[in-house]
Amino acid sequence: MDLSVVGQTLLLALTIAGLYAAIASGLTLEFGVMRIVNFAHGEFVMLGAFITYFLETRYGLNPLFGAAVSGVAMLTLSWLVYDTFLWRILREDEHNQILATLGLSILIVNLAMILWGPDARVMHAPDLLPPLRLGAITIPGNNTVIFIVGVLLVAGLVFFMKQTRYGLLLRLASDDATLAAYTGVNVNAMFRLSFIIGGFTAGVSGGLVALVLYVHPLVGTDLVIRAFAIVALGGLGSIGGSLIGAAILSAAESLVGTFVPGGGSWGYGIAFLLIVIVLAVRPLGLFGSEQRS
Amino acid sequence: MKRWLAPVLPYLAIIGLTAGIVIADRPFWIQLMIGICITAVLALAWDMLSRTGQVSLGMAAFFGIGTYTTALVDPVAGAVAAWTAVVLVCAVAAILLGLLTLRLRHMYFAIATLGFSLSLQVLVTAFPDITGGAGGVAPALLAGGEPRWQLVAISGLLLLATATSDILLTRRFRPAFFMIRSKSELAAASGVPVVRSKIMAFILSGIYAGLAGACYGGLYGYVVPGDVFNSNWSIMPLAIAILGGMDTTAGPLLGAFVLRALEELARAWIGGIGYQVVYGAVIIAFVLALPRGLIGFVTKLVRRDTKGDAHPRLQEGRVKS
Repeated sequence: MDLSVVGQTLLLALTIAGLYAAIASGLTLEFGVMRIVNFAHGEFVMLGAFITYFLETRYGLNPLFGAAVSGVAMLTLSWLVYDTFLWRILREDEHNQILATLGLSILIVNLAMILWGPDARVMHAPDLLPPLRLGAITIPGNNTVIFIVGVLLVAGLVFFMKQTRYGLLLRLASDDATLAAYTGVNVNAMFRLSFIIGGFTAGVSGGLVALVLYVHPLVGTDLVIRAFAIVALGGLGSIGGSLIGAAILSAAESLVGTFVPGGGSWGYGIAFLLIVIVLAVRPLGLFGSEQRS
Repeated sequence: MKRWLAPVLPYLAIIGLTAGIVIADRPFWIQLMIGICITAVLALAWDMLSRTGQVSLGMAAFFGIGTYTTALVDPVAGAVAAWTAVVLVCAVAAILLGLLTLRLRHMYFAIATLGFSLSLQVLVTAFPDITGGAGGVAPALLAGGEPRWQLVAISGLLLLATATSDILLTRRFRPAFFMIRSKSELAAASGVPVVRSKIMAFILSGIYAGLAGACYGGLYGYVVPGDVFNSNWSIMPLAIAILGGMDTTAGPLLGAFVLRALEELARAWIGGIGYQVVYGAVIIAFVLALPRGLIGFVTKLVRRDTKGDAHPRLQEGRVKS
């Protein structure tokens, strides 16, 4: 097997991993703080992708600005979702939480189907960076962009959580909500903060999706399934772990896709078998730690 | 309501409705009832599993395994072998998945089961030589393709599932199951066979989901992987059981009626893709308005606390000694 083919495959996979990690980091942040898995996270990504797509095709807006606008739009939408109903279900049993966010996901996907139809669209954006050439290996410019933005997003989140005052308060609220409330932390506001940050990252990731993938109503569902895989690998709640999980997943996916005959169609099936096995060995993921409930 | 009537009411309702619809012989009602029965079996299967604290998002896996097992075994070995194979294969799959996910708690379990069902769909498409790939399979028709007898057969399956669910709610199993869910260490310490009970619930749940899938495959005699491994079959049982009322037999049954009826109404009024929006909205509204489901709501109205939540009762009853 040609070494440069392997290198090309792995490097391309690494850039896609940046996108995957960006999506997974928001999901894992929400879980880390609120202990809720947001099954509608992928739908926020999808809406972000459509916003960036329309801004670019109709108004010629640079996709990077488009991604920022999507981020703000999804931040607002998350805020709305949180204040209208999400805060109510945080005290319910987990199956009710799963069902409520699944309901939201069904609602948004089908709304998008009605508004924009099921067809896949392509945003013919110009390359934001020149292609990267390393010997026989070529990385398209937009892949470099999504890698950089994705990694910056994850790094920013880690910095925010570890180094800022609000990050500290978020961690306190998630570790022990009662204690946090007694020390004067507005726990509800902290939960909302984590949810709208999650929404923001979903919107920005959506912009990245529009840059390198097809845009269609089911794109979010497709991606969030992978994000589940990533957070399960990296450990639910571990933001840094999502980078490593994303790298493992996209490397596995693209290697299988390239070197196994017909393997392109089994992408995430293999990934999921991997997860079931990883979870069987390490029930909290590779980098997860025991959490208080 | 008379005391003896309440437990047999679900059975009477199923038998009565089925008989009435079979006699009336209206195609629309027959199809609607078949749909309700299949989803009710799935919802009961999901509920049996959830009573041990295992919140599954993988019912579609067993549903699909059931369909594919009948479709692949029936032409080779005949109907009896095919149905036996469904039970055996689903039981084995349930044991394997159950053991693999035994230590997973909460969301990890949900994600692992979701992953299992999604990867099955992909694997089925990836090996077209055995499974027919994306082109699908042609299971033998159930009851010779006569809708009325199909309904009778599926109602029979629903009666079986109802009875199994009721048996799991008797004193023999109920306290053990709910104790595993709320405090599995305590359950183990008090001599409840935790692993065995969890796996048993998994096996029963898997078998019923598989049988439902086998029946579904036999309805039209043609099935593609996207039909049976669709994550709808994983979400719907969860929605129905929760909206109807978990930890009961009547809840999933009632939930199946209400949700399928609402779905059909929405489909008739709004049509196309739009009705799915309503479906999503209804789910959210129900979770917000009736977090304990329809049954929980009714119980609260009647204020009879005979089948309430297991957790507080365990605490009150056991601590005194």
